[in-house]
Amino acid sequence: MKIVGIAACTSGIAHTYIAREKIMKAAQELGYEIHMETQGTIGTENKLTAEQIKEADFVLLVIDIKIGGSERFAGKRVVEVPTNTAIKAPKKLLQTIIDKL
Amino acid sequence: MLKKMQLRKHAMTAISYMLPLVVASGLLIAIGNLMGGSVITKFTGNYSVASTFTTLGVWGMGLLAPVISAAIAYSIADRPGIAPGLLSGIISYNIGAGFLGGMLGGFLTGWVVLLLVKYIKVPKWAEGLVPMMIIPLLASIVMGIVMFFIVGQPIVWATNALTSFLNSMQGSARFAFGAILGGMAAFDFGGPVNKVASLFADGLLLQGVKQPEAVKILASMVPPFGVSLSWVFSRVFKRKIYTLEEEDNIKIAFPMGIVMITEGVIPLAAVDLIRMVASCSIGAAIGGGLSMSWGVESPVPSGGLFIVPAMNKPVLFLVALLIGSLATGVILFLWKRRVPEEQGGTVRSDEEEEINLDDIKIS
Repeated sequence: MKIVGIAACTSGIAHTYIAREKIMKAAQELGYEIHMETQGTIGTENKLTAEQIKEADFVLLVIDIKIGGSERFAGKRVVEVPTNTAIKAPKKLLQTIIDKL
Repeated sequence: MLKKMQLRKHAMTAISYMLPLVVASGLLIAIGNLMGGSVITKFTGNYSVASTFTTLGVWGMGLLAPVISAAIAYSIADRPGIAPGLLSGIISYNIGAGFLGGMLGGFLTGWVVLLLVKYIKVPKWAEGLVPMMIIPLLASIVMGIVMFFIVGQPIVWATNALTSFLNSMQGSARFAFGAILGGMAAFDFGGPVNKVASLFADGLLLQGVKQPEAVKILASMVPPFGVSLSWVFSRVFKRKIYTLEEEDNIKIAFPMGIVMITEGVIPLAAVDLIRMVASCSIGAAIGGGLSMSWGVESPVPSGGLFIVPAMNKPVLFLVALLIGSLATGVILFLWKRRVPEEQGGTVRSDEEEEINLDDIKIS
């Protein structure tokens, strides 16, 4: 299973990065390949490549705000959750999504 | 229906874009004022650097309603929302409907633009005109009429009523207001309840009511400082209430607290939610109530301890902060269970919260 995702929170300085870390860690522990981009107040970091997006089985948006570049995911399966969900229960979140796919 | 409209997400997007502007402008005003600057009214004569800071900050604050409105409209309707959103916001600013008017104007603009994009059909040769001329012009005309003639005045009236009500509060009402605002701001450590409280405080700041902002700043720092104090108590009185992992988290949360980021205590709250939320809310409520009662004002919405000198009563602010943090620290110290010696280093980081994921949709 390959996953790409974006994290973005309101203040763009804390939750964004906590969420990214939690999700990355959970995915690695479950044995999935994951790439997460962050869109914080500083701007976009760890930008997803076209290759990564193309190969991904689904797109996980961990966001509280509107993000830029969502047109990159045209035709992909997209799941959107608030950052809080990802911080509270990252593994359960991934598991639930994968079960539903 | 309400959920589908994603009101929260649009509002959060606006706050996200607004924050750097409000922080920069607020600090410019504060620095300018401290250096003895004032707003420049005549640009033909000489003026000081300090006055340029103050002036720029005041102008920046004036941009807030347009930025909020444009960001909400952008969040709803994407790029076509920005231009009409800016216009709705500048109407709001100029007629005195401020922040609230900017919010409402942003939502209405976004929806109007969405409808226009959906329903405007033109012949092929005119397609280029739709995004460049037809939508910006039509949306601006519609929103201009709505803002000037329909929603503007009631909001001006409501804003003025709220402002004068807050300014006229006395004694125990002031304490209660500060306590509620402070409690809310600390309640979920930077989550949605906190954002409602801080939105309220930021909005009032734009109306020139600066005391709620001080409460917000205080309440954002009470949780990390309170937790740190409880840790100090546990060291001094040799009553171990934190695991090794929690201690590490406190060491991260404290410096974050200095710059007013509450989120550092989330890992601690995640493993002991009720005690943490209760003690932090109580501490922030006490501190907030005191700050309001003492009339502490902050002209800057963010920045933590670094902007305390810009406040009108910095010492009283620090006293209120200390009392609030002490309250949180003492409650936590007395209430938290002792960590058994053999579990001194237990790691619980893999534990996840129960959370309802039934409504997750894959599109």
